[in-house]
This record gives sequence, structure tokens and C-alpha cells, in this order.
Amino acid sequence: MTKVKNRIRRLRFDNDEMTQEELANRAGCTRQTIIALEQGKYTPSISLAFQIARAFGVTLEEVFQYEET
Amino acid sequence: MAPLQKRALYSLGIGVVWAIAIIVVFMAKGGVNAYTGDPGMRAILAALFIGGLIAYLAVLLTLRRKRGQVEATMDERDKVIMGRAPVVQLWAVFISLAIWSIALTEIYWDQGQIPVIFPYLILMSLFIVNVLSQSLGILIGYWRMGRND
Repeated sequence: MTKVKNRIRRLRFDNDEMTQEELANRAGCTRQTIIALEQGKYTPSISLAFQIARAFGVTLEEVFQYEET
Repeated sequence: MAPLQKRALYSLGIGVVWAIAIIVVFMAKGGVNAYTGDPGMRAILAALFIGGLIAYLAVLLTLRRKRGQVEATMDERDKVIMGRAPVVQLWAVFISLAIWSIALTEIYWDQGQIPVIFPYLILMSLFIVNVLSQSLGILIGYWRMGRND
């Protein structure tokens, strides 16, 4: 699994149960990428990570965390 | 299923039908000997080849947003997967060339020469293998990313 963990699912529900499609539209990616991110199967680029954080109105660190092994 | 993944699946289906159609026409019209001496057969196969190639590329590459569609159809993840497909294409073309080389050498060993028409057939087959393996490479990319390798 990826070392970069995220709280996208939690944040979606905290933001009026935002749908994956809504988030994808705001972040400029496909819904399938949001699904892959939530499942920890894809690590986004810095650019997409910032766009996702911006879509939630939070900082990058509030969405993504690097897990030390 | 991601839009690009869907396109790759459709393209692979079209590509397989296209390749089978070319092989069937080629065999039904008389194979290598007829292809060498019959310009009409070469024209039919060339038309089939170019027509199929255009249809294939039209399905795979016209990945655009529909009118009024907000959601992106292709993003960075799709581009990463598409960027890895050439590895599959390279291996597919290399293996095809190896098969052609070994088969032609073994079959025409006693004659000491290979019929001049074969470079055309090799070129055509490598085009087909190349485009089919692109779709296959994309589908393998999604499968591997799904497994998180």
C-alpha cells in the first residue's frame, strides 16, 4: 500500500456528504481517481493534492499524511 | 470504469475483430502466393488495414468531453497509465519480430531466400500488434494500479 494516507472520505462526509463526483469536478480529475485515492491505490501529484485540499478549503496536511515506516 | 479504460476495452475489441478480418480475408483470397501476384487483393487488404486503423484510433483517441459534461474524461492518473503502455507495445512488437524472424528463417531455409512480399506483411502485422498492445497495455495499467503494484 501507498505510504501517503489521506482523509478524503472523512472530509467528504464532513462537507455536507460531498459526492465523489462533486469532488472530482472541483479538483479537476475523474471520479475513478477519487475512488483510487480513497482506497489508497494511487498517490496523487502535488498539483492534484493541492487542488483536493483547496476543494475542501483546508491545508494539504489536513488531507494527506506521509506515514513513516 | 474510467473513460479511458472503457475506450481501451472497446478499442481492443475492435482491434481483435479487425485483425481477425484481415487474416480471414488474407487466407480466403489465397494467402502469400495470391498476395504476391494479385494487386486487387493487395488493394483490398490495404483498404481493410487503413480503414480498421482509422476506426481503432477514432475510438481510442477521441476522448473528449461531451457537450455540457463537467467531469474530466482524462486526468493525471490516466496519463500515467497511458505513459506506461509503450512498455507492453515494445515487448509485443519485439516478440512479433522474433516470431517472424524465426518462422521465416526456418520455413525458407532450404530455398536460401525469403519472398519479397514478406516485409509488407511484417510491417502490416507489426502495426496491428502495436495498436492492439497499446489497448492491452492501458488495460494492464488499470489492472496493476487496482492491485496497487
